[in-house]
Amino acid sequence: MSSVVSLNRLEPGLTGQSSKPIWCVLRDFACVALLAMASLAAGVVMNLLSDRPLPIVYQTTEQRFDADLTTLVTALPFKIAPAATVGLGEFHSAVESKSALILDARPSVFFEQGHVPGALNLARDAFARDYRQLAPLLKSATDKAIIVYCAGGDCHDSRLVANALMSLGFSNVRVFTGGWEEWSKARLPVSAGSGG
Amino acid sequence: MVEGPAAGLCWERGMIARSSSTGDYAVLGVSLGLAAVFIYAGFEKIHDPLDFADSIAGFGILPVVFINPFALALPLFEIACGFLLLWPPTRRVGALAIALLSVMFFAALLSALLRGLTLDCGCFGSGAPSRPRMWIELGLNVVLAGGALLIYLRSTMVAPQQPA
Repeated sequence: MSSVVSLNRLEPGLTGQSSKPIWCVLRDFACVALLAMASLAAGVVMNLLSDRPLPIVYQTTEQRFDADLTTLVTALPFKIAPAATVGLGEFHSAVESKSALILDARPSVFFEQGHVPGALNLARDAFARDYRQLAPLLKSATDKAIIVYCAGGDCHDSRLVANALMSLGFSNVRVFTGGWEEWSKARLPVSAGSGG
Repeated sequence: MVEGPAAGLCWERGMIARSSSTGDYAVLGVSLGLAAVFIYAGFEKIHDPLDFADSIAGFGILPVVFINPFALALPLFEIACGFLLLWPPTRRVGALAIALLSVMFFAALLSALLRGLTLDCGCFGSGAPSRPRMWIELGLNVVLAGGALLIYLRSTMVAPQQPA
């Protein structure tokens, strides 16, 4: 006979079912708590082994979209897909005729100091925020070409933004490689402020 | 009744006694029904934990740091509870767990309804947000909690087996 049975004989109220022993209920709760902890541990392990693991801290849909957009413009320059480029003449005529959407990929502070007339600011360093603001306009003008420029010279912001836009499904995206430097040196018209 | 080495575990004593009865088909039927519901619900959620996390976040109850761990653990917990219900010696713990889960779901749904939220509760995978569906799921949780409590209380009220 086991020691448990001896305990039953000595203290029937402790282990007997008919007396509704509180320790039995507490033991059941403890079992449930253990089960919950085991489920959490198994869930974490499964998450680590999955193809798309969840982060530890939850991100809202908007935060995830921002993170995805930000990732699009953090590619290393040598990994950027070669976007088509345009020269100053073609860029100037597109600005004059308004046949293309002109995007300025520089930070907003430089955009506000001066930019190509009619250009919209889609800054590389605030791409997620700016893209969300401009997305309706960009998507409504799919028949137009998009030309992106940045400071000029060695700047990569225009290529990064162009690459991100192509990743988002915009096919007719080109880069004005001369950028703001070449435009302003040519003494062409400029606008200032936050508006296009 | 043979007293084994683990007979001191009250849940085992109770369920051994139940299995030796003439057959409580109601308890068995409720157990199978609850097990089917929770195993199904767990597998529906486990496919897309991100989607389930979004559903949890929609309730606006849990702090952000707990949402993803909860989304990862709950489907497995539900599946485990379902399987515990299938085996008589563990049925009592499974029933208690399911009763607690159902009460928790009920409270969360009721809270959301009272706050005027229209959500997809994510109870059985993802779906369209709908208040009528939330009310139906609220009622379903009452039924589930009732069934689980029935199983749990029945297993605790079994007369103790006298040692030989």
